[in-house]
Amino acid sequence: MRTPMSVLRLPRGPDPNSRGFDPNSPRFIALCSTTISSSTDTETDSVQIGEEQCARSMLRESFLRTLIAMTNKQVQFYMYERVKVNAVFGASDIDVLNFQVSDLQTPIGVQKEALLRCQDVILYSFDL
Amino acid sequence: MVEWRQLKPLEWCKYVNKKVKVTAHEKHQFDGWVFTVDPVSASIVLVTFQEKGGTATVRVVTGHAVQEVEILQEGNEETARRLRDTFMPLGGQVLSLEELRCRKESLRMWLEKNRIPVEEEGETLRVANVLTVSAPYGAENCSSSNEIILARVQNLMEGNPGLTLQQPSNS
Repeated sequence: MRTPMSVLRLPRGPDPNSRGFDPNSPRFIALCSTTISSSTDTETDSVQIGEEQCARSMLRESFLRTLIAMTNKQVQFYMYERVKVNAVFGASDIDVLNFQVSDLQTPIGVQKEALLRCQDVILYSFDL
Repeated sequence: MVEWRQLKPLEWCKYVNKKVKVTAHEKHQFDGWVFTVDPVSASIVLVTFQEKGGTATVRVVTGHAVQEVEILQEGNEETARRLRDTFMPLGGQVLSLEELRCRKESLRMWLEKNRIPVEEEGETLRVANVLTVSAPYGAENCSSSNEIILARVQNLMEGNPGLTLQQPSNS
């Protein structure tokens, strides 16, 4: 394992909440939609809404199990501009907008801890 | 096709347990069996089984990168079962009732031997009134709001000589 690279500190350090992670930034608000796709047709009856909610919770539970299975495993992240990086997956936030990873292998060195923006990722893959 | 992210959960459900080919941004194409579609991010979880070796490869295409999804093959009971088993929680081994009862007894006697009050409440053991242990009565099955007692009891449980066939780890 390569020696982790030290974190660069610029003379005027960047605001820790900036660069797309700030919850008040227009980018974050645009990405984190406050409404989710659901039937809003007034003619939809409650049975169908009930079925939709069942489907939604079943799908979400399966996805959360996927995240659990991924924890502490080596994951390959395929990002835009043909960027491919390896890292150990730590955690995700509730909206699946950011991933916390460890030992991120980048072309300029190994980042001990990092946050990845999911909007930059096309695919992530791991072996069970 | 309608934008993938705009589909409703019931429509996403139609892709579960099917083999699909996903076309994503930057001309990527992936195929695999759909385990689930996250309703929050519309990400598709694809599983590819290895013919030999047993391990599966899981690939998740983020929802915003999906351009097209084409169904290649329908799944059946067998594939549904394989997909479910792939994500079974660790330690999902099934213990018989007899084994569970033995483990519970062994734990209860060990705690009493160490002068720790323990009561049986159905399937769970209640320890010192602040900690509960549920099946299968391992250190990770303890639940308490008091961290110190939790840590003490877990350490104690790991020293239980009656539970393993190996030599006791400590006296």
